[in-house]
Amino acid sequence: MRRFLAVFLLVAALAAGATQAAGKIFPFPYTTDDLPNGLRLVTVSTGLPNIVALYVVVRTGSRNEVEPGKSGFAHLFEHLMFRGTEKFPSEKWEAVMQAAGAQTNAYTTDDRTVYHAVFSKEDLDSVLTVEGDRFQNLKFPEAAFKTETRAVLGEYNKNYSNPFRKLYEALQETAFVRHTYKHTTMGFVQDVEDMPNQYEYSLKFFDRWYRPENTIICLAGDVDRKTGLALVKKRFGAWKRGSYKADIPAEPPQTEPKTTKVDWPTPTLPIVAVSFKAPAYDDEIKDSAALDIALFQAFSENSDLYRRLVIEEQKVDVLSGDNSDHLDPYLFTVIARVKNPKDVDDVQRQILEAYEALRSKPMDAAKLEEVKSHLRYEFALGMNSTARVAETLAPFVGLRRTPETINKRYALYGRLTPEDIQAAARKYFVSQGRTIATLSHKPQSTGESR
Amino acid sequence: MIRRCALALLVLASLEAQQIETVTLPSQSPLVTFRILFKTGAAADPAGKPGAAALTAAMLAQGGSREVPYDQIVHALFPIAASIASQVDKEMTVFHGSTHIDNLEKYYGLLRSMLLDPGWREDDFRRLKTDAINHLRVELRGNNDEELGKEALYERIYEGHPYGHGSIGTVSALEHMTLDDLKAFYRQNYTRANLVIGLTGGFPKGFAEKVTADFSKLPAGAPRRLELPEPKPARKLRVRLIEKNTRATAISMGFPIPINRSSPEWPALLVAQSYLGQHRSSKGHLYHRLRELRGLNYGDYAYIEYFPRGMFQFEPDPNLARRQQIFQIWIRPVEPQNGMFALRAALYELDKLVASGISKEDFESTRQFLSKFVNLLTQTQTAQLGYAIDSKYYGIPEFNGYLKTALARLTLDDVNGAIRKYLHPTNLDIIVVTKDAQAMKDAIQSGALSTIVYVSPKPKEVLEEDKLVGSYKLDVSSVDVVPVDTVFEK
Repeated sequence: MRRFLAVFLLVAALAAGATQAAGKIFPFPYTTDDLPNGLRLVTVSTGLPNIVALYVVVRTGSRNEVEPGKSGFAHLFEHLMFRGTEKFPSEKWEAVMQAAGAQTNAYTTDDRTVYHAVFSKEDLDSVLTVEGDRFQNLKFPEAAFKTETRAVLGEYNKNYSNPFRKLYEALQETAFVRHTYKHTTMGFVQDVEDMPNQYEYSLKFFDRWYRPENTIICLAGDVDRKTGLALVKKRFGAWKRGSYKADIPAEPPQTEPKTTKVDWPTPTLPIVAVSFKAPAYDDEIKDSAALDIALFQAFSENSDLYRRLVIEEQKVDVLSGDNSDHLDPYLFTVIARVKNPKDVDDVQRQILEAYEALRSKPMDAAKLEEVKSHLRYEFALGMNSTARVAETLAPFVGLRRTPETINKRYALYGRLTPEDIQAAARKYFVSQGRTIATLSHKPQSTGESR
Repeated sequence: MIRRCALALLVLASLEAQQIETVTLPSQSPLVTFRILFKTGAAADPAGKPGAAALTAAMLAQGGSREVPYDQIVHALFPIAASIASQVDKEMTVFHGSTHIDNLEKYYGLLRSMLLDPGWREDDFRRLKTDAINHLRVELRGNNDEELGKEALYERIYEGHPYGHGSIGTVSALEHMTLDDLKAFYRQNYTRANLVIGLTGGFPKGFAEKVTADFSKLPAGAPRRLELPEPKPARKLRVRLIEKNTRATAISMGFPIPINRSSPEWPALLVAQSYLGQHRSSKGHLYHRLRELRGLNYGDYAYIEYFPRGMFQFEPDPNLARRQQIFQIWIRPVEPQNGMFALRAALYELDKLVASGISKEDFESTRQFLSKFVNLLTQTQTAQLGYAIDSKYYGIPEFNGYLKTALARLTLDDVNGAIRKYLHPTNLDIIVVTKDAQAMKDAIQSGALSTIVYVSPKPKEVLEEDKLVGSYKLDVSSVDVVPVDTVFEK
């Protein structure tokens, strides 16, 4: 089935004028161009008409927030970037985007901040003009800075009415000791509350990280390399290189299992998260790809555990797993929401047994082929619009600066054997790398202040 | 890899022989997308059975068929990375999903058996009923103050109306729901008369006819359209405070509007709405005044169509068509001490819009924005298909072309006329989810000045306007406080 799909994709890509080699999962032709200032442009002609997606990927996320008291700044910058420049104050920037019929937004993760706009192709130059300007000349007065910090607090407040968010916050804080993955992208709440006092630091942050060598521009859709490159050179070519290098603290090996408990003030079902330290993203070394397979095998809708906990015993209504790609070693996490508090221990035991099963014997070869098939069809089904193509691309170019890493990663999946999956499970699912976080409803007591 | 279908390929056919409506958009795409839609939904829930439509659809999409148990369906769909999802609104129920053409036969075989030959297993029913109850108790009440406020607003506006309960139902009704209730709902509503078969992508020749023939097994049914009474608008300002121990204060407000997408005046009102509060965009006027200028919260938007799950997505889902819609303002959570100020600020801006209309410049820029933005709404083939079905439902031509043409013809007077005719800063319902509801109730009733504390100096004109905002008269007819655990309970 995989082979058939690969052949089909080749035919489809050729039909779109591509020169991709057989067997590659990414179905569109792409080019990469490096400007003298270190900025990289990735251009993908999707063959879909009229629309262009611009994704500007800055390789700075909460991982880069190395100074105590300054968590959440990468995300704050995602907001400040909409505060404008002298030439294009925010209302002028808005007017240009509005004239392009653009959908614009941005997001921040542990490893990157991504600014995106999807718009009509005839507006490419005007959009690149205002985008080039704000990445080089962002200027926000202290008053505007302080106002924006309150919007960020508003976002924190919005997010943390959700217990899953709170649980993840506790999980990261417990699992990590030194690495900046200890805090979430939103940052520690005390740092968010202190943001209005950090105007000077914000200028320093921009100066350090918003630099061309730290940025990749993805242009996808109804656009060709020549046009895109000429415009990007014109609008981003004068951007000056930076020199700052962050010393991201390495996480020391975890030596013992950890647990943490979160009390939730309003009624909710208990949630249990069982997490292990996991390797960084890689498109050559097998470990992180093997753990992706393990995630599907043991914890997806197609797993024995899901069938038992969700469909048969009906003890759990949410079972989800996460082995998200990160620049540095992160976490492999399984989360279950338990319908009846008395079942929490049993659910936790069953999750641990599913981890143990991955360690104890190689997975069935036919099951492995099912997971590989799932991964490839999932990818193919996702390539259904210019915006989705660019959205899929952005995390990968954030990790390795080239779309080729997608092809390499999926080729790696294709080579994995049941023994590889077991070896990765034995290496990472060890008790000294484990963190278990639980959340349950506990009404706050009244009349006491501490 | 993907080809957009040319508009000329749009085929809207009513197959008289089978009485089945079909909307097909054939293309060269290697993906095939289904939207199997029934013109029925929560508005057709039997008396005392709110949630019947939604739970019936869940039994079909997340339960087994007679031949294949649910775990085997999950297992069969996994290697092809496909899924079958359902969406139930007041007047529409849709089952949708996509498959790679390699797997069309396998996928369609499952889809057909799930929709035409449901398994009605007791254990699926128990699981899905619990999921629905937990959705209300845990997801809405517990985890999502914003969606809670929005759904409570609809419930309040449509009290005593077929739209008057959330589509998921109520906890008490769900607890008493039986499998026989769902089977009865299925028999009465899953009929050829209600069915629209939507199909797009690179499906082979003769495939659409095969699907139509298969679905002809459904009972004919009678074309029946539920009578919808006119909703009664609130008198003055009618405020409901949902008390919940939560960090921030979420506010939604709105009133029924007598037009929908089929009305010639709808594009004019769309321009007004986009200007006031384009969804999740920093270009809207409310966003500018409340968030950008004052830092009150994360965003502030306006709507003239139902748009659930807006906190998770940028584009609305298609197939939520309703004959009756409301105008709505969504104020994202604010710090509790700013709740009153934010409430007044939204009303103040709405009042200003109604009194002054929008400027020529704002009209032109918003019109230009919408003329291009409409292309983004229909980027995927599933969205194109969904919009095509909705356009047919509303009796308008293909959506993108229709809207662009209508926008090109609009004048500033059309927009300001629609604003004056359909929008008003009074006779509206307000829902607030907040922790100290009694204090807010007192503040609303006292009419005392509302203030906002800033972390940075503000220009004089903002401070002057703050006084007007803070003293904006709240002409209130009622304020009540309800504990969160009673919402959607009965």
